[in-house]
Amino acid sequence: MLVRPTEAEAEKTAKDAIFQRKTLLIIGNCWVHYLGRARSKLEPGERIVIIKADGSLLVHRPVGYEPVNWQPPGCIFHVQTKDDVFEVRAVRQKPRESVKVFFDKIYIISALSLTDSGQFTLYASEEDMHKAILLKPSLLEEDFKPISYEKKVEPGFVDVYGVDKKGKLVVVEVKRKTAGKEAALQLAKYIDAIKAKADREIRGILAAPNIAKDVQRLLATLGLEFKSLDPRKCAEVLKKTKTRKLEAFFEDETN
Amino acid sequence: MFKLKVSDAKLLRDMTTAISILVDEATFKIDPHSIKLRAMDPSRVAMVDFEWSKTVFEEYICTESTKMCINISELLKLLKRAGKDEVVELSLDEKTGRLQVKITGKYTRNFTMPTLEASEEEVPTPKLTFNVRAKATTGGLSQAIEDAQLVSDHVRIEADAEKIVFNATGDLMGATISLQKGSDTLLDLEAKESSKATFSLSYLSEIIKAAAATSDIATIEFSTDMPIKLDFQQAKEGKLMFYLAPRIETE
Repeated sequence: MLVRPTEAEAEKTAKDAIFQRKTLLIIGNCWVHYLGRARSKLEPGERIVIIKADGSLLVHRPVGYEPVNWQPPGCIFHVQTKDDVFEVRAVRQKPRESVKVFFDKIYIISALSLTDSGQFTLYASEEDMHKAILLKPSLLEEDFKPISYEKKVEPGFVDVYGVDKKGKLVVVEVKRKTAGKEAALQLAKYIDAIKAKADREIRGILAAPNIAKDVQRLLATLGLEFKSLDPRKCAEVLKKTKTRKLEAFFEDETN
Repeated sequence: MFKLKVSDAKLLRDMTTAISILVDEATFKIDPHSIKLRAMDPSRVAMVDFEWSKTVFEEYICTESTKMCINISELLKLLKRAGKDEVVELSLDEKTGRLQVKITGKYTRNFTMPTLEASEEEVPTPKLTFNVRAKATTGGLSQAIEDAQLVSDHVRIEADAEKIVFNATGDLMGATISLQKGSDTLLDLEAKESSKATFSLSYLSEIIKAAAATSDIATIEFSTDMPIKLDFQQAKEGKLMFYLAPRIETE
């Protein structure tokens, strides 16, 4: 870390950090030009610029949680000093976009090798909960057999649709949060719509982490059931697959 | 300066279509011997490696190596106007920096289109050792992929010494497609060890469908959880290869 470096020192630190794919932090007085899908100019001011190991760039002002200028990962960087102005340029190929940051004063420049292998866990979305039920129907109840999901039933879509072990049709409405009155009424509507077409016994299940007390009574009145379904458990069921980047294979395997 | 004349407009159009599957702005390298392109798609999951030797062309003039970047879908629009036996001539107007596309057949059409700033990115070849090498008809591959697409958006490809199996599992339905070694679809198969890897069907299907128009036979190479290489054999001196990164399961 360098405090109040000269332009030459800053240039060397920045070049090395970018080359070695370190995380680079620059704090100083800068102005920014962006050219790409649009065009923008940010007048001089004191800001925090971060260049991350994956080639993304963020320009943060002293306030606000969002960066004022940024570039996504995979940028190519050029660093130069001209007339006592230190310039970092981040160019993205497709679409062609470039962000140029010009510093006339640098307070701190720091190149960091950061290790972060921790996982970020996001509990399941409603759609993930549907998928989890399809993958592991016993989440809902033993011997439940899903037939379809997001099935179109006027006036909307049924989340999950299947049969129970006695062969009764089951319509499931999934909620991520505490199930409210609306969810119960929505489920009742679907059941009415299906009953109108198919003359057989239908069970309606509202699956959610929990349910409001008054809704429980409403469900009972409507002849519907409630099943507690934890989004976290659903998330565990879903084995996430992701596509790797081809670049991961450019380097020799033996390395 | 260059001037490239192709007497088979359809082949040029099919090749351009195959490239356009992955690339919007294509930077071609043109030297006195051949025209080449190697590029990754914007999400950097797949790569195309193309080369046409000068012998593919009816006339090939290139005095010094140059790069040319063009919007490939715009070029494709123009090429679609060329009939089967018409002749297409591509040349660069050095004064204006525009690409001239001349189509001659029953009548003559002269189009011009802008060239873009050439990409400086040098895309390396993935360094891979493959345990499976298979030769299959592109028609048969297209069919297998189409089958798998009915049930899922990704497919697991498994191979042993006897067969290749495409396994697709969707939310509700599943599909298993087997290609036996020596069958009409799978002409040849060598597997050093049994291997399996999962790929996105949308990429595979687009690549295979487009490349099948230029080629009847493809060589497929892969290893467990490694990228797949699809080499589409060309009738004339040229190459069209694709690499596609695998999908991996994460906890």
